[in-house]
Amino acid sequence: MDQRDDAPDAQRSTDAGPAFAHVSEAEFARILDYYQVRWEYEPHTFPILWNMSGDLLESFSPDFFLPELDLYVELTTLRQKLVRKKNRKLRRLRELYPELRIKLFYARDFRALMLKYGRLELAEELSGTAGHVTPSRSAASMLAGPFGADRIAAAAVQADLASAALAPALDPLEHPAPVHHRRRRRGAARSATAAERARAGA
Amino acid sequence: MKVPIDLQGDVAEVLVSEDQIQAKVLELGARISADYAGRQLTLVSVLKGSLPFMADLMRSITVPVRIDLMEVSSYGGSSTESSGLVRILKDLSASIADEHVLLVEDIIDTGLTLNYLVRYLRGKSPASLRICTLLDKPARRLVEIPVDYTGFTIDDRFVVGYGLDFGEFYRNLRYVGVLRPEVYSTPPVADAGPAVEPGPPGDPVAAAETGA
Repeated sequence: MDQRDDAPDAQRSTDAGPAFAHVSEAEFARILDYYQVRWEYEPHTFPILWNMSGDLLESFSPDFFLPELDLYVELTTLRQKLVRKKNRKLRRLRELYPELRIKLFYARDFRALMLKYGRLELAEELSGTAGHVTPSRSAASMLAGPFGADRIAAAAVQADLASAALAPALDPLEHPAPVHHRRRRRGAARSATAAERARAGA
Repeated sequence: MKVPIDLQGDVAEVLVSEDQIQAKVLELGARISADYAGRQLTLVSVLKGSLPFMADLMRSITVPVRIDLMEVSSYGGSSTESSGLVRILKDLSASIADEHVLLVEDIIDTGLTLNYLVRYLRGKSPASLRICTLLDKPARRLVEIPVDYTGFTIDDRFVVGYGLDFGEFYRNLRYVGVLRPEVYSTPPVADAGPAVEPGPPGDPVAAAETGA
């Protein structure tokens, strides 16, 4: 049976979609496509840690933004040690940007989702593994996201004390030099605007 | 290796007993009857899981009701490969324009299917559209949709029975139970094992009731 003419419009995103960092992300995108929920892949990057000089040390790019729902989704099917690092980043993100709505999908959540849809073999395959299909994506852009420079500056002040305490323990692999965002999705107007701001200020 | 279904034995615990379900259905029916007093109502059941709930709920409602059935494809089903999009497998049999509609669900978890259905039904111009679900699993919610009538709010566990299935089985259990994890590591088969009369396998474990 064909799709009904009066059914909600489809927002197919995966056909010409981004290169996902993890197979679970590709699967999640397919699920969203299936249920016709519009999504963007890593459209926004949020600075979360600076050093005393104000240099950006760490950013966080949630995997998905669902614009119709104003919701960010971060998937993690990683090993527990890496989950802890991601949890720490998420805590920082929530402290600095409390108005963000973000949902973290742990391995168990993803597994339950796969079970619901009869894709348990995929969940089992990914469980406890890195599962990356491209290199680490912890590197992030210099600035992005829907927040203006004032907000970011205010957040930087808050972060100074934390960065002073945390900087000696930072893992250089987790804090590479800032790079340009590499997988911006279609229609990411908010991200493009923020990126322009970043470039102008650079 | 495929493991035969043991209808009762595959259930680790009873989450919502038959008695609890029936009491909740009566309570919901009374609330719905009061809310729709003086009006008539169209109940739309989403196949297949909500069938038992629908059958019981409609008989506990005292205002005039008509019923209709819908079925939508699910991600991961055989239809996924053909279109990659959710499809209406069975549409409404009559117009709901200017009708008061109550969408009856067995369980809401991610909200993805419900979100699609609500958008679809709103396009049919009902006079009103409300949602009633027997079970709500908010821990898994992606799409927040206001639910007007909720039976039980449950934790994030894999539940079967009273319409809810795993591999199309276990729907005929009279209660809602938690499936043993080892069961869903292998697909169920129906061609082995003794026939078992559906019914609770012991003392029920109370589920968290919302009273919503």
